Amino acid sequence: MAFLSFLDREKSIAHPGYSRWLVPPAALAIHLCIGQAYAFSVFKIPLTRLLGITKSLPDDWSQSQLAWIFSLAIVMLGLSAATFGKWLEAAGPRKAMFASAVCFALGFYISYFGVVWHQLWIIYLGYGVIGGIGLGLGYISPVSTLIKWFPDRPGLATGMAIMGFGGGAMIGSPLSIKLMAYFHTATDVGVGKTFLAMGTLYFLLMMFGVFTVRVVPHGWKPDNWTPPVKQQALVTSHNVEVNTAFRTPQFWLLWIILCMNVTAGIGILEQASPMIQELFKGAIGPVAAGGFVGLLSLFNMGGRFFWSATSDYIGRKPTYFIFLALGAVLYFFLPQTGGNHLNSVKLFVAISAVLLSMYGGGFATIPAYLRDLFGTYHVSAIHGRLLTAWSVAGVLGPVLVNYMREYRIAHGAEKASAYQTVLLVMAGLLVVGFIANLLVRPVDPKYWMPDQKDGA
Amino acid sequence: MAENTKKSSGAMILLAWLIVGIPLGWGVYNTLLSSMKLFQAPPAQITTPASPVK
Repeated sequence: MAFLSFLDREKSIAHPGYSRWLVPPAALAIHLCIGQAYAFSVFKIPLTRLLGITKSLPDDWSQSQLAWIFSLAIVMLGLSAATFGKWLEAAGPRKAMFASAVCFALGFYISYFGVVWHQLWIIYLGYGVIGGIGLGLGYISPVSTLIKWFPDRPGLATGMAIMGFGGGAMIGSPLSIKLMAYFHTATDVGVGKTFLAMGTLYFLLMMFGVFTVRVVPHGWKPDNWTPPVKQQALVTSHNVEVNTAFRTPQFWLLWIILCMNVTAGIGILEQASPMIQELFKGAIGPVAAGGFVGLLSLFNMGGRFFWSATSDYIGRKPTYFIFLALGAVLYFFLPQTGGNHLNSVKLFVAISAVLLSMYGGGFATIPAYLRDLFGTYHVSAIHGRLLTAWSVAGVLGPVLVNYMREYRIAHGAEKASAYQTVLLVMAGLLVVGFIANLLVRPVDPKYWMPDQKDGA
Repeated sequence: MAENTKKSSGAMILLAWLIVGIPLGWGVYNTLLSSMKLFQAPPAQITTPASPVK
């Protein structure tokens, strides 16, 4: 299709004089949109009242049926990022962002029909499968491009984009609530029309990203910057092809690090509201707990920017040492802040905020860690495959937290003290990640692509 | 064919950041308002430690 030729990689190469500071907003436009996925829960109650409007009827969908929509989307995120990463490297970021925008918007439009016809499988297919593919493509699409535009600050660059994914939920949640209130009538909860409106709004913002993103021209480098002659031990100037990287121990060590860090973070995120209420019974109610969840979201987003930018100065491996060592200590100490020990809400909130900042930081710093070890050539594709660790953690974290807590309560533990075991296990997971980080060494030269240096 | 060497203008860069910054700022503002509820909660009750941690 000739009219889509503007999406070709060759057509998106930056002209001389193009500012690299236009590329992060393009990446942010994509991530701010797809980050809406984390706010999907605001649709859960209205979707259980499509027939009853004011209350659920027997034929309405249950919350457990609806939970599959988000789970499917996250699984598809991991799968599509792993599958399409190599295609993305060849096709370029503009085509991948466009495909992401089409899938993400289409997911909303298809789900509209699922609401109108009251067919849940249509929403599974729309938002879950097709929208989920859009999530995966969108998540990895700007990574490689940003790293090439910011060879001097790769952590800062990818942190800016991945920060957007954290911020996306902050936009998606109030936007959905306001739109549902606007479209709500006596016979309609307003979800369907909200899906149509959001699909359109997000498509438009993502198109801004599509039209703004540019590929770095061959041989370009930032003004007044020369590549360091002597690289740090863990920073390579060589490249490793994605299928080869998949076979290196470094890939799987990073996979373990990401999986452990995310699993532990989800341990808090998943239980944030009930945990603070049960640890400080009588002092913290549901409204204040909602505020706590909001605060964690801010630190999750801020940590993505702060830690990834910091990693440019202190190095990727030391940054993860901080996440994994400090995280383990803080998880161990967290239950001691509860109502039957130190009884300090402030300390509990402060520690949780630091932990969530490191959870976000773990996501945002991993692309730069991959670039250090495997070069820039296939970094988006390798990142895509690494995101399967997120899919695994997305299941492992909530399962661990919920089942262990219920097991402890079933065996006579108080609700507040049941968290102690859960958080100790989270600390243990971070120790596993710490050991994996300790084992990370430079990639063996036998894996390097022949005659391929960075930027080639 | 003359090569396009036009520098990106500061206004264009500012506009690009505003396009993403305004919705992000709106989201952060809403979340900040929501998180204020935590600090408006009544002070924690002083409770006696129930039992030592085993």
